[in-house]
Amino acid sequence: MSIKSGYFKKHLSIDLTRGTAEYLDLPDAFLEKYIGGRGFGAKLVWDNLKKHNFKIDPLGGENLITIAPGPLTGVYLPSSGKNSFIGISPATGLYGDSSIGGGFGVELRQSGIDVLSITGKAPELSVLFIDNHDTQIIPMPELKGKTSLEAEGIIREKLDVQLAHIATIGPAGENLVKFACVNTDWGRNAGRTGFGAIMGAKNLKAIIVRGHEDLPVYDIDGLMEESRKAYSYLREHKYFKMWQQEGLMNVIEYANDKGILPTYNFKDSVFARHDQINGATMLESYKIGDSACFSCSMSCSNICLVKNGKYAGTVVEGPEYESCAMLGSNVGIDDFAAILSANRLCDELGLDTISAGNLVGAIIEGYEKGIISLSDLDGAEITWGDDDAILNLIRKIANREGIGDIIADGPRCIIQKWPEMDRLILEVKGLEQSAYDSRGGSSMALAYATSDIGAHHTRAWTIAREIEEGQSWSDEERVKTVIYHQTLRPLFDMLGVCRLPWIELGLNERHYENFYKYVTGHELTLEQLLALSNDIYDLTRLINVKLGVSRKDDSLPYKVYASPALTGPNAGKAVDKDAFQELLSLYYKERGWDDNGMPPEGTEKKFDD
Amino acid sequence: MSKKLTVIPEQCSDCRICELVCAIKHFGVNNPKKAAIRVINTYPHPVMRMPVVCSQCRIPACAQVCPTDSLRWVDGIVQLDKGSCISCFKCVEACPFGAIYAHEDCEFPIKCDMCGGDPECVKACPLGALRLIPEHALGETKRISNVLSYTQMREIEFYEKGEKKTIRYAEIGKEEL
Repeated sequence: MSIKSGYFKKHLSIDLTRGTAEYLDLPDAFLEKYIGGRGFGAKLVWDNLKKHNFKIDPLGGENLITIAPGPLTGVYLPSSGKNSFIGISPATGLYGDSSIGGGFGVELRQSGIDVLSITGKAPELSVLFIDNHDTQIIPMPELKGKTSLEAEGIIREKLDVQLAHIATIGPAGENLVKFACVNTDWGRNAGRTGFGAIMGAKNLKAIIVRGHEDLPVYDIDGLMEESRKAYSYLREHKYFKMWQQEGLMNVIEYANDKGILPTYNFKDSVFARHDQINGATMLESYKIGDSACFSCSMSCSNICLVKNGKYAGTVVEGPEYESCAMLGSNVGIDDFAAILSANRLCDELGLDTISAGNLVGAIIEGYEKGIISLSDLDGAEITWGDDDAILNLIRKIANREGIGDIIADGPRCIIQKWPEMDRLILEVKGLEQSAYDSRGGSSMALAYATSDIGAHHTRAWTIAREIEEGQSWSDEERVKTVIYHQTLRPLFDMLGVCRLPWIELGLNERHYENFYKYVTGHELTLEQLLALSNDIYDLTRLINVKLGVSRKDDSLPYKVYASPALTGPNAGKAVDKDAFQELLSLYYKERGWDDNGMPPEGTEKKFDD
Repeated sequence: MSKKLTVIPEQCSDCRICELVCAIKHFGVNNPKKAAIRVINTYPHPVMRMPVVCSQCRIPACAQVCPTDSLRWVDGIVQLDKGSCISCFKCVEACPFGAIYAHEDCEFPIKCDMCGGDPECVKACPLGALRLIPEHALGETKRISNVLSYTQMREIEFYEKGEKKTIRYAEIGKEEL
């Protein structure tokens, strides 16, 4: 069996320094082995690292980023609107990726390519315009300093591309803030690991795509039948309506109830005024519309409008759980309108809401504890829930003003300046932790510690299982669950689809082997697909190892082992440091890595092709 | 009974499943750019998600500009006669809603044919933003919502068998005249 369809077999390679766009052929063996999305990205990034002898400045022209949908992106099946940004992260200096929904990846594929890679640096601020097979790099210095959304509006008008899909960066990206994001479709972000800064460093303000090619599908009738089954399963699920209505905002209530909601920079894991920032509040007073990624019936995203008060008129695509928790309870904000405003501000400035909320929370606590002085704060006091001060600090980060200039360089730089902040900032490998407290469940701590991009829940999200199982499950099972997540969830990122139908509504993952078969004509079992995904985990580990990562970096943030939450169901709980080391050893063993976290000899050879 | 394919933009999420099923049904390909229905998305002022599809006008502007008389309203559907169509695409430009489409792979204008009376998009829409409504019932939803939003209406909450409900009523005679 081999690949019969599902791909254009084209890689569009852009060199901004030389101003060139080349269409390269992708051989079948490459498609079969790396599938797409993060698989393609990791391989291209690996090859580029080798070319540069593993010395790459993430903000240098030599850092190659890839934007990669998968063979299922844009295809008629539930939630196929995903694609990934992959490169060496300025936040961690290591492998980084960020998955994004909406319609950008679909449009990119429809221009007739499977993967886009960008290297080099444009001589002046420019945009990349991919108009089906016609690709241009257009200098647009007039976009300098424009917010993500302003830039998108100007581009639509000036280039007469009203219905194109556009990815932009805001001032934070231009100013090389290490957690700057890439904004598409007016408010969907490739948030994590700093792709906004990479684009900023490349003088690339935006990528505009317009495509109209048929997406290749091997057996459209087979696909239709399989997809109809999947869609009707979702439609009949008892929580389907709730997902359409509240979407990810339903998680606020769940997280608070279970004691995993980041509150006051993770000092606590329940928020007294959770009911003012939850899904019900959103539905009652703020939601004005549903928003879905391409081909998704769950429409987990919301559009909200503030109708009165000082933030009246604020429209935002979102918030989703992470943004709401990190810009809400984590910084003590209980005014939903203020959260919406902070979310919109981050979208405009091009800042990752998770990193921003995490670091602002840490700064507030640092000031509270006297580690950071009022003069460090440029004389502007900041306290829990002070929305004006918080929004102001977010602006200062994006514009690199005063203390913002230090925060903009990420947690490690903050710690360098104020070493005691080491105890307050939750980060792994330099990436700020996302909005699920792990102190109540060591497998979640393991998930953050061993995630290839740093402390983000995208690779494994085992906290729900921890809550269900309590103390009743063994460390072996914890390790196996983390690894299963780290294999299946990245597989979704390789195929170019969303994991939510599976993780949230229990759509059987076996569907995906059929989707893959009907689209590519290549028959692989789920187990075979998972094995390919597992290889990519070895590859991203290898990349990180080559860049200096070992066991010491698969670490726990201080608070996770030394500073338990104060109240709620997980009050007093922390992850035992020694027990965690045992868990980590078990994890390495299960993965076939040595006790220092190194993949076995011969791993490197596997990716020599 | 003539039925209309109607659009309730407030319910639309921009998921574009309608586009996919339309293109697959009519062309057998996975390509939303070959659909006779497209979701147009504006943001942020105003926020609008509007599926744009043929209204099957009784006096079709597309037919009026057609030089070969290939577009005709028959039994509630503006039908395109591909035998006489010369692919000038004047209809695409003439439609006041922009609801006829063109694609370089496709010889003829892409226009909604209501799937012969049982539109795939209506069946596939996960949010009920697309509906098939008898002509005599058109406007009913708007009519009702307008009545319900009548400014003198009051609202009270009450519990019935433990379930929270609301009832609206008019305070007759207490309006501020």
